Amino acid sequence: MIYDIRHVTTYEYGSTVTYSHCSLRLLPNDSPGQKVLSSELSIDPAPAQITERTCFFGNRVSALTITTAHRELIVEVRTAIDVDRPRPPLAAATEAYDVVREQAFDTVSIDKDSPAHFLHPSRFAPRFQPAADYARASFSRGRPILEGAIELMQRIKADFKYDTKATVVSTPISEAFEKRRGVCQDFAHIMIAGLRGLGLPAAYVSGYIRTIPAPGKKRLEGADAMHAWVEVWCGEDCGWVGLDPTNNMMIGNDHIILAKGRDYADISPVAGIILGSREQDVDVQVDVVPREPAAA
Amino acid sequence: MIGATDTMTKELTAAERFTALVSDYQPLPGIPDEFIGADGRPRAHWLRYLDFLTDLGADDIGRRFAAADRHIRDSGVSYRIYGDSNERAWPLSHVPLLIEAGDWREIAEGVEQRAELMEEILADIYGEGRLFAAGDLPAAAVTGCPDFLHPLHGVKPPGGKFLHIYAADIGRGPDGRWWVLGDRAQAPSGAGYALVNRLVLSRAFPALYRDMYVERLAPFFQAFKLGLTSMAQRSDPRICLLTPGPFNETYFEQAYLARYLGFLLVEGGDLTMRDGKVHVRTIAGLKRADVIWRRIDSDFADPLELNARSHLGVPGLVDALREGGVVLANALGSGVLEAPVMMSFMPKLCRKLLGEDLRLPNIATWWCGQQQERRSVIGDIEELAIAGAFGNPVLRFPRNQPVIGAALTPEDRRRLVAAIDERGVDFVGQEVVNLSTTPVWRDGRLIPRPFVLRVYAARTPNGWKIMPGGFCRISDRADARAVSMGEGVQSADVWVLADKPVEMVTLLPTDETVRIRRIMGNLPSRAADNLFWLGRYLERAEATLRVIRCLAGRMIDADAQTPTSGWTVAKLASLLVTWHAAPGASASDPMKLTALALHGEKDYGSALSLVRDARRAASFIRERLSPDAWRLIGDVNRALETNGKGMLTEAEAFEHADAALRTIAGISGLAQENMNRGAGWRLFDAGRRVERGINACRFARHFANKDAPADDLDVLLDLIDSQITYRSRYLMGVTLSTVRDMVVLDPFNPRSVAFQVERLDEHLENLPLLSDDGMLEAPKRLVVKLGAEIATAVAAKLTNEEILDFEKSLLNLAEAIAARYFLQGPNVARADKSSGLA
Repeated sequence: MIYDIRHVTTYEYGSTVTYSHCSLRLLPNDSPGQKVLSSELSIDPAPAQITERTCFFGNRVSALTITTAHRELIVEVRTAIDVDRPRPPLAAATEAYDVVREQAFDTVSIDKDSPAHFLHPSRFAPRFQPAADYARASFSRGRPILEGAIELMQRIKADFKYDTKATVVSTPISEAFEKRRGVCQDFAHIMIAGLRGLGLPAAYVSGYIRTIPAPGKKRLEGADAMHAWVEVWCGEDCGWVGLDPTNNMMIGNDHIILAKGRDYADISPVAGIILGSREQDVDVQVDVVPREPAAA
Repeated sequence: MIGATDTMTKELTAAERFTALVSDYQPLPGIPDEFIGADGRPRAHWLRYLDFLTDLGADDIGRRFAAADRHIRDSGVSYRIYGDSNERAWPLSHVPLLIEAGDWREIAEGVEQRAELMEEILADIYGEGRLFAAGDLPAAAVTGCPDFLHPLHGVKPPGGKFLHIYAADIGRGPDGRWWVLGDRAQAPSGAGYALVNRLVLSRAFPALYRDMYVERLAPFFQAFKLGLTSMAQRSDPRICLLTPGPFNETYFEQAYLARYLGFLLVEGGDLTMRDGKVHVRTIAGLKRADVIWRRIDSDFADPLELNARSHLGVPGLVDALREGGVVLANALGSGVLEAPVMMSFMPKLCRKLLGEDLRLPNIATWWCGQQQERRSVIGDIEELAIAGAFGNPVLRFPRNQPVIGAALTPEDRRRLVAAIDERGVDFVGQEVVNLSTTPVWRDGRLIPRPFVLRVYAARTPNGWKIMPGGFCRISDRADARAVSMGEGVQSADVWVLADKPVEMVTLLPTDETVRIRRIMGNLPSRAADNLFWLGRYLERAEATLRVIRCLAGRMIDADAQTPTSGWTVAKLASLLVTWHAAPGASASDPMKLTALALHGEKDYGSALSLVRDARRAASFIRERLSPDAWRLIGDVNRALETNGKGMLTEAEAFEHADAALRTIAGISGLAQENMNRGAGWRLFDAGRRVERGINACRFARHFANKDAPADDLDVLLDLIDSQITYRSRYLMGVTLSTVRDMVVLDPFNPRSVAFQVERLDEHLENLPLLSDDGMLEAPKRLVVKLGAEIATAVAAKLTNEEILDFEKSLLNLAEAIAARYFLQGPNVARADKSSGLA
C-alpha cells in the first residue's frame, strides 16, 4: 500500500521570534516493511542553516537555525511511502516471557535495536510500580510473551478511555494511569512502563495511521494527528513486534512508522530553543491518504 | 574536698596529657581503627601527632580550635544540604586524618590505575563497544545507568580524552587494606573543600603542620590546571567552570576553585553555541570558551539533545562536541562509571584492558542481571548488602543507600527477593565490610568515628597526578559507606605524611613562561549585570537608611522642633512610603514606620529587603568579591535581621540605621580601595552612580521645591551628606538656589547629580566597544547629552520639571546599560529585580 502523507505544523508566537534553533524528527526512514519513495521538508521562514543527521536510534534529525524574525513558523512534510509489512509471529509460538527476559539481560548487542536500550526506565516511562502490577496479571509464568503483550494491550483498550482533554504532552503516566484516561501517547507509555517493570523490553514508536478507514472498517483513533504505539521485543528469534493499544490492533499496513525510541522524549517531532517569545500556539494537521489501489 | 578540687585544676604535664589522651582512646569493638592498629597498638605516626598536639596545652588547643572555627565562619566557607534554602557553615573536624607514606603509595598507585581503567572503559562504551561484543560487560548493565547518554555514542571527545579529573571513595577494611567503595567520574566535588580544610587547619597549627612533614596540595591543582590548558587548541585558552548556580549544594566550592585556579565561573546562560563552538557572552561580545570544567550533571548540559527541561545547560553543546569545538572535563556521559553495577565488572575489566589486577580492590559486588549471580545473591541475602544497580532506591529506602540483608524484616526480605527475581538488572549484592574509624575530638577526648576518604586524580600531559591528601567525611553513623554532607557529618583535613621534611616548592612559574597581564579577560554579561545591580541595591539601601536616620534624628532632637518641623517629618515618612520601604498604613505612626522601614520583610523597599537583594546579587558573583566584602554584606544583613524584633525607640532606630550605614560605607571603602579597576569595578560603580543620581534628583524634588521651608532644605543637606561642605562654603543659612546647586549641578560635590554623571561618562568611556566604527554606543550617547544639559543648567532658573527630566534620563541610561551589556532574551536566568528600581 502506498500512502501520501502531508504533515503541517504551524506555530504562532505571541511576539516576534528573533532566533530559533530546533531539531525536527519528521522525516521517515526505510525499515523492514516500509520504503520511503519521497520525503520533503519545507520550512517558512527559510532557515539560515539546516543540517541532517541520524540519531542513535536510527531516526532522521534535521537541525535548523532560523535567524529571520518571525511570528509564525510553518513546517510542512510531504512523504510518499510504500508499506508492506510481514505478518506478525504467531503469539502462541513466541518464547516464554521469562526466557525473553533473560535473553534481554544477557544481550551482547549495543546496536540501535538491541533490547538493552528499551529495558530500563526512561523520562516518559519511568519506574512506576502500579503499571508493573497492572501488567503482571497478563503474564503467568511461562506464558508466551506475545500472548501476554496482546492481552495487556486488550486490557488497556478496555480499561482506559480515549480522551483528548484528559492529558497533555507533559502529563506523567501516573496521572493518566489513575484517571484511566488519555491519548495514544499515554497508553503507549503506560504499556511500556508495565512491560519494562516486568523486565521486558518495550519501545515507543511514533507515526501515522490512515485517515480514511478501509472500506467497511471503523475510523481509527488518532488519524488526524500523529499517532504513537508500542513495540515489544519477543526474543532473539522473533525480535520486535508492534502493538497499538489505542486501537487494540497489531501493527500492519495501516500504520506508517516515523521514529522509534525509548519514549516520547527521544523522538519528539520538534524540539527547540526559541528566543523572543514565551507563549506559542501550535496547530498540527495530518493527512494520510492511500493511493488508488493499482489494478491488481 | 578542697584537696580534690586542687588535683582537678592542677596543670598536667605534657607527658601526662599525652598518656591520658592515648590510654583513654577506645576503638569500637570489632571495627578496625586508624589510630590503634590491628595488633592493638597505637600507630607511630598518630603518636607523633598527639605528642606534638599535647605539647600545646589544653587552653592553647582550645584557642586554636576556636580560631579555626572563626576562620571558617568569617570567610564564609559554606555548603548547602540539598533542598535547603540556607547555607551552612562548613563543619571541620579539628583532628586531621593521618596517612603515612607507605599506605599512601598503595592508595596513590591504586587510584592512578583505576583512573586509567576508567578512561579505557569509557572510550570503549562510547566507542567501539568491544567489551559488549566479547561479553565482558553486559549491554543491559550499561544502558540502565541514567548517565549512559545515547546522543554521545560515537562522539569522540575533543582532545581525545574522556576523563580529566576522577575521584575514588575509599575506606580501610579489617585486613588493613584500602578498598574502593565508589567511583566519581562525572564532576567529583570536594577537592575545593579539601583545599579549604588545609588552609584552615594549617593556619591554626602552623608548627604542627610543618613538623609532621605534611605533603602540599597546591602542586596537584597546578597540574590539573596545566592538564586542562594543554587540552585546548589555543595556547592561551579560556577555561570556564560551568556551575549550576548559587543554589547548588557546593556552589561555595565552585566559586572558590574558580578563583583559586583563575577559571571563569559561568552558568549555562553565559554560554552560547555558534558555528560548532561555545562562546561566553561578555560585555565585549562573544568570546570563545576553549575548555569547560563542568559541575553540572551531563543530563542537564544540553536541553536540545539531553534533558529538554534543563535550564542549566547550553543548547547545542552536544553539537559543538561533535564538531570538536570545545573540550569538556569530564566528557558528557562519564557518570555512567559511578553506577554501583560497574563495580561488579572492574576486576575482570582491569585484567582485560590493562592486563593486571586491581591494585586497590573494590567492595565485592554481584550484578543480579546475571542469572547465576542473582541466584547466589538471593541465597546469601542475609550476609550481603543490596544496593540499586544504577543508584535507584531499594524498596522504600533512600537512594544510594545500601540495605543490609540481615537487618530486613522477613516481610521486607520477601518483597526484596521478589523484586530481584522480577527485575534483577536493578540490583547488586555487595559484601558487607566493616570500615575503619579515625579519631575525632569531642570535649577534650578522642573518640573513634567511621569515615570515607575521597582521593583525586587529575590528568596532566605527563600522566595522572594524585592529590596527596583528599576529602574526608566523618560520619556519626556506624555504616559509613554512603556519607554525604548532611546532618551530623563532618569533614576532616587529610595529612599525607612524608618521610622527610617537605620542600617548600615554589609554584611560581618562571619569568619566561608567563605573559604579564593586568586585566583578567572579558567580563561575562551576567557578572556585569549582577555587579551593576549589587551597586544599585547597596546605594538604594544607603539612601533609604539615610532617610530613616534623618527621620529618627528629627524625632529625637527636641531643639529642632520648629513650626514647620512636623511637616518635614511627615515628608520624610511619606518618602519612605513612596519608596515602598514601609506600608502606607503606617505613615501616621512615625515610630512604627521607622521600625518597619529598617527591619520589615514584607515591603521590597525596606532596608532589610534591599540588603537582601544586594546579598543575592552578590551571591551570583561571589568569586569576584573579596571575602571581606562578602562578609560585610552578610554582617549588615544579619544586623538588620536580628535587631528587628518588636518596636524601637527613636534612639534605637537612629543607632540601627547609623550602624548599617557604617557597614555599607565599609563595603564602599573596600570597593574603592581593593577592587581591581577592571570592567567589573566600573559596572559596580556605575550601578551605584546611577542609583545615587536618581536618588539625589528625587530628594531635590521632594525637599527643594519652589517654596521649600528652611527645614526641608536642611533635611536635604543631611540626606545627601553635604551639611559640612555647605556650612563651610556658605556662611549664611540655607537658600533654595545654593542648595539646589550643591545637590544637582555642582560637579565638585561627590554627592551631586552632576558628579555622578561625570563618573558614569568616565566608566562608559573605559568599557569595551562592540564595534570600531567610531560611533557612540547608546549608553554613551545618553550620558554625554545629560552631562551637557547639567553642565549648562543654571541653579537660579532650575525647575522641578528639569530635575525630573534629569532623573528620567538617568533611568533611561540604566535601561541602555542593561540593553548593551547584560544578557538578553527569555532563556536567560537573571537576578530577580524588585519592580521599584526600574
